[in-house]
Amino acid sequence: MKSRIVWTLAAACVLVVACTSLGWTGEPISVGLSAPLTGNYSEYGTNWKKAMDIAVEKINAKGGIKGRPLQIVAEDSKSDPKDSAQIAQKFTSDPKIVATLGDFTSTACMAAQPIYDRAGLVQLSPTASHPEFAPKSQWSFGIIGTQAEEGAFMADYTVKRDGKKKVAVLYINNDWGIAAQQHYIKRAKEDGAEIVAVENYFDRDKDFTGVLTKLRGSKPDALYIATMYNDGALMSKQREKLGWADVAVFGPGSLYSPKLLELGGSSVEGLRTSSIFMITDPRPEVQEFIKAFKARNNGVDPNMFAAIAYDAITIMANTIEKAGTDRKAIRDELAKMQNFVGMTGKFGFTERRDVKRDYHYLVVKNGAWALLDR
Amino acid sequence: MLLQQIVNGLTQGSLYALVAIGFVIVFGTMNLVTFAHGEVYMLGAFVGYFVMSVWGLPWPLALALAMAAGWILGVLTEKLAFRPMRTVGHMPPLLITIGLSIIMKEAVMVTLGAENRPVPSIYEQTVQLGGAQISLLQIVILGIVVLLIVGLQLFIQGTKIGRAMRATAQDYEAACAMGVNADRVFNIAFALASLLGGAGGVLVGIYYNAVSATMGGMAGLKGFAACIFGGLTSIPGAILGALIIGVTENLTVQYLASGYRDIIGFLVMVVVLIVRPQGLLGSKMRVV
Repeated sequence: MKSRIVWTLAAACVLVVACTSLGWTGEPISVGLSAPLTGNYSEYGTNWKKAMDIAVEKINAKGGIKGRPLQIVAEDSKSDPKDSAQIAQKFTSDPKIVATLGDFTSTACMAAQPIYDRAGLVQLSPTASHPEFAPKSQWSFGIIGTQAEEGAFMADYTVKRDGKKKVAVLYINNDWGIAAQQHYIKRAKEDGAEIVAVENYFDRDKDFTGVLTKLRGSKPDALYIATMYNDGALMSKQREKLGWADVAVFGPGSLYSPKLLELGGSSVEGLRTSSIFMITDPRPEVQEFIKAFKARNNGVDPNMFAAIAYDAITIMANTIEKAGTDRKAIRDELAKMQNFVGMTGKFGFTERRDVKRDYHYLVVKNGAWALLDR
Repeated sequence: MLLQQIVNGLTQGSLYALVAIGFVIVFGTMNLVTFAHGEVYMLGAFVGYFVMSVWGLPWPLALALAMAAGWILGVLTEKLAFRPMRTVGHMPPLLITIGLSIIMKEAVMVTLGAENRPVPSIYEQTVQLGGAQISLLQIVILGIVVLLIVGLQLFIQGTKIGRAMRATAQDYEAACAMGVNADRVFNIAFALASLLGGAGGVLVGIYYNAVSATMGGMAGLKGFAACIFGGLTSIPGAILGALIIGVTENLTVQYLASGYRDIIGFLVMVVVLIVRPQGLLGSKMRVV
């Protein structure tokens, strides 16, 4: 008994010393993070984590939120819908968690959504772009812009700006891919293009020679690939090997990554996409972030996913600063957010709790990303 | 278009075949299904990546080193993981292989990261053949696969240890009674399988120009399917099975839709197994 008291006292002393030495006056504020830290999407999840750590360190170095340090409680979802739902159960039943960030894929977000909705906990996804995600629950927020917007932008890019008339589409068969493809095709048809072929593939497929050979048979002058940069690079390589050169390749901003250039090499030359984040953005805060990120990422530049994760945690910290730590107060304050300026530009929430984005025209030119005039 | 899809399918099928043969050798001699085979293949691919992309050395060296690494890995896994388990039935070794596959995959993810890594292209020239575009690389890969398979057959049919492998496969107890050193046979069989897995990994890395920690899962599944399709213990059967799966997948993409690719591939396999439960070229007796 006596020894226990001694231990408790000792622990309390250590805690007090630790807290005062850091200057903290309160317990940490915990924000949950549901992200693919391992598994097939771990590349994106670890990118998020690195970017968010930079933001948290910056916030805490400036004294945290009202004297309390911000802390991320990360759980690994593998972006698997059943894991993200379980994590949602865990976060909603933990009173220390004041709000959550994540998940990566629209599918994983939408699987966890009803649980956050019932319990009343904010679910802010940096990357879910399915147009039905945010409107479905008062507690859900998306900041990347929706495929309804981006698909339309890319369709205009293909048909109006670049004058392509016969378009083939290849998309990944998941919630995101289906939405991306539908909205693109809808606008491309409105713009007067003919959709000559539509094909899909499943996550984890690595061989696209078959489907590319088939698409080539429909003789399109443009090919839209609704996919992530890893698969996009593989597709481009295989297209090059098939000797299929007389087609212009377009795709959503998920392709924008230094990795696409590294993996795709000469085969991604001329590939066109959009982005909301630019490495060449001259604003000092952006360059500072890029520098900090490279220092933790073996000198590799951040991609759009890292930048938007940084924005997500920054928005959350700003909101908690204003609203305090009550879950409902955070939701209401977050819904009011307007004119936020972050790594990925300026944006604010619409009534649907998602955002409208300003996209840039991008193209791969001489092995590097180049910005085109609007 | 048809010819192009058949060429695509044959190349893909020949890569499945290298994985499938590994399963056949292990099952034929040790009566064990190893779920870690896809990860051996992934490790081989990473050896290839380091040799070619990081150190900038030529691909034959990558192939040789990956095969050597596969051999060493096979020898070690058999000695450390399977030999102590020989007398406890089928289940524990099976579970060990699942554990090993997770360990290998996660170890690569933790130490090297999960992202795809680039492998340089070689032999990019293409030949036009009756409307189909065949790359020199596809021909080289097919050639290497054929060479490896011929070499394997010579080893199994022509050497003393190969004879011992066949004897053990036919009747474990009788072979032991005749003085065959079963420990050695099992060890070499597992090492051979891993060597082929390593070679397959390098070739796939070169063919798709990318390697990643998660590449083993699907490849292992396809190789295993081809092995069952062909008859579990028949090497020619596994090769035939792999080629049929490869070609079927590509024809499905062409004439149905790409989403049906795996469905039709596996459906053909199920139908064949209903008609011929022993597989395409399988027999009741094990032949390795």
